[in-house]
Amino acid sequence: MKDDLTAVPPTRAERTLTVHAPSASGLPPLRPYARDFWRRRPFMWHLARTELKATHYNTFLGQVWLVLDPLLMAAIYFMLRSVVRPVGSDFDRNRIIAHLITGVMVYRYTSSAMGNGARSITGNSQMVLNTSFPRAIFPVVAVIGVTLEFLPMIVMMLVTQLALGQPFGPALLFLPLVFTILAVFNMGLAMLVAPAMVLFRDTSGFLPYISQSWLYASPVLYTIAEIPPNLLPYLRWNPLFPTFAALEEIFSGQAPSLSNIVFAAIWAALFFVAGTTIFLRTEPDFAARL
Amino acid sequence: MLPASDLPAPLGTDPEGRPYVVRAHELGMSFRTTNERQQTLKGTIAGALRRQKTGRTVNALGGVDFSVAKGSVYGVIGRNGAGKSTLFRLVAGILTPTSGQVAVYGHVTPLLSLGVGFNRELTGRENILLGGLASGLDPQQIVEQYHNILTFADLGEAIHSPMRTYSSGMFARLGFALAVHLDPDILLIDEALSAGDAKFKQRTTDKIAELAESDVTFLLVSHGLEIVRQMADRCLWLEAGLVRSEGPADEVVDAYLANDGVAPVATTAMADL
Repeated sequence: MKDDLTAVPPTRAERTLTVHAPSASGLPPLRPYARDFWRRRPFMWHLARTELKATHYNTFLGQVWLVLDPLLMAAIYFMLRSVVRPVGSDFDRNRIIAHLITGVMVYRYTSSAMGNGARSITGNSQMVLNTSFPRAIFPVVAVIGVTLEFLPMIVMMLVTQLALGQPFGPALLFLPLVFTILAVFNMGLAMLVAPAMVLFRDTSGFLPYISQSWLYASPVLYTIAEIPPNLLPYLRWNPLFPTFAALEEIFSGQAPSLSNIVFAAIWAALFFVAGTTIFLRTEPDFAARL
Repeated sequence: MLPASDLPAPLGTDPEGRPYVVRAHELGMSFRTTNERQQTLKGTIAGALRRQKTGRTVNALGGVDFSVAKGSVYGVIGRNGAGKSTLFRLVAGILTPTSGQVAVYGHVTPLLSLGVGFNRELTGRENILLGGLASGLDPQQIVEQYHNILTFADLGEAIHSPMRTYSSGMFARLGFALAVHLDPDILLIDEALSAGDAKFKQRTTDKIAELAESDVTFLLVSHGLEIVRQMADRCLWLEAGLVRSEGPADEVVDAYLANDGVAPVATTAMADL
C-alpha cells in the first residue's frame, strides 16, 4: 500500500514562537491562551457530546433516566416533607410538588457541574499528560455536558407548570436570563473545584457533603416564605439564594425582582473570575501533580 | 517553498545556516514528591500540624542546554529516569519548567508513549477525529487527511472497532499515522515506534526521512539505539537529569554504548527485536 504523496498537507495559519519558562505572574500569557482555547471550539463540542453518549446511551433507560431521576428525587422529598408538615389543600400540594421538581432539576445542574468539574482534570489524566492544549477546556467541556443535560429539564419544568396548574405566563420569558446567569456561575464553580481536586485528591470525598448541605441551605425543598425569620439573614448569603429566589418569583407568575437578578449576576461574576484566575494559576502544575 | 536560509529564524541558526526551531537554555524541572502517592488535604493538614516539611524535591532535569535545527532528526538517549520524558513534556508545554526556559518555533505535536490522548472506548475512526480536533485542526482539515491516515495506519476493518480491542502495535500505528498527518512542525516521538512490527518500522523510518526532507523537525526518544544512530543527525545523552554528551548521533551513541560496556552489535539486536 502506498501513501498518497500528492495530497498537500493542511497548513496551520502561522508558525509562532512559544517560550516555556516559569511565569512571573503565575498566569499563562493570556492572548495565545485565549487563541488556543477559542480555536478548539469544535474539539470541545465534540468531546462534550462523546462524553454524554458514553454516560447515557449505554444504559437501558438511557436519556429517559435523565428526566426520571429528578422526578423520583422530588417524589422522595415530597414524602419527606409531608411527614414533617402535613400538606393542606390540593392547591398547596400541587404548588409544593411543582416547586420541588423545578428546584431539584435546577439544583442538580449546579451539583453536576461541581461533580463533573471536579473530575474533569483527574479523570482525563492521560490526555493532560500527553497533550498540550489549554487545560481550561476540560472543566468547560464538563459544564457544556451538564448544560446539554439541563436543556431537556427546562422543557420538563414547563410541562410540570402546565400539568400541575401553576402560573404559565409571560414571567417564564425571564427563565433564559436566570439560567444564563446560572450557567456562568456553574462554569466558575467547575473551574474552582477542578484544581482543588488535582491538588487534594480527597476533595472528591468531601463533595457529596458539600453538595448535600448546599441543597439544604438553598430554597429547594422549602419556599422562601417558609424560612424562619431568624435564619433568613444567614441563608441570604448562600450564593445560590438569589437565583432560587428569582426562580420562585418566575414560577409563581411574577417577573423576578431586580435585586435578585443583580445579586445572582454578581455572585456568578465573582465565581467566574475567581474560578478562572485560580484555574489558570494552578494549571501549569497539573501535569506534575497527576 | 523558500530555501531554509530565507525563512525567519527567531531562534538563530546552526553553523550550516539552518534555523533553530527548539532552543533550551538551562532548562530545569524539579518535582516535589510526597511519601504518599498523592497529596491529600488530610496529609497536608497533618503535616502542617506536625510542622514537618513533607516530601522532598527531586531534580528531574537540572539545567539542560540544547538546540535543534529545522528539518533535522534529533535523538535523545539515556537510561530510565534520566529525564527524557520530562524533557519532552517541557518542549511540548505539558510541564512548565521550574528554571530556565525552552523556546519553540512552530507547532509541536507530541506523540508520547502508547495509547495516549486516545479514548479507548471509541473506535479508531472516532479517535482520529478526536485527536485531530485536539491538536487544533478544524474538521474540514481532518476530513482531507482522513484517507491518508487510514492508509498509513493500515488497520483494515479494525478502524471501526473500539480501541480497547487494539494491540499495542495497532495503537502505535494509529498514533504515528495521526501525528504525522496533523501538519506538525515539530514532532516529539517517545518510544512510540518500538511497539510496531518490522514492516511498520520500515514505513515509519521512511516517513520520518521524507518529512524531515520537507522541513519537519523530529525529536526522538528511543531505546532502540540503532534507530537513533541510523535516523538522527545529532543526539543528546542525558544522565540523571544532566547532559552527559551532545553531538553527532553516531558518536554519542557509540560513547553511550562504550560507557555501558556493551558491544554495539549485541545491544542493537536486543533493542530491535
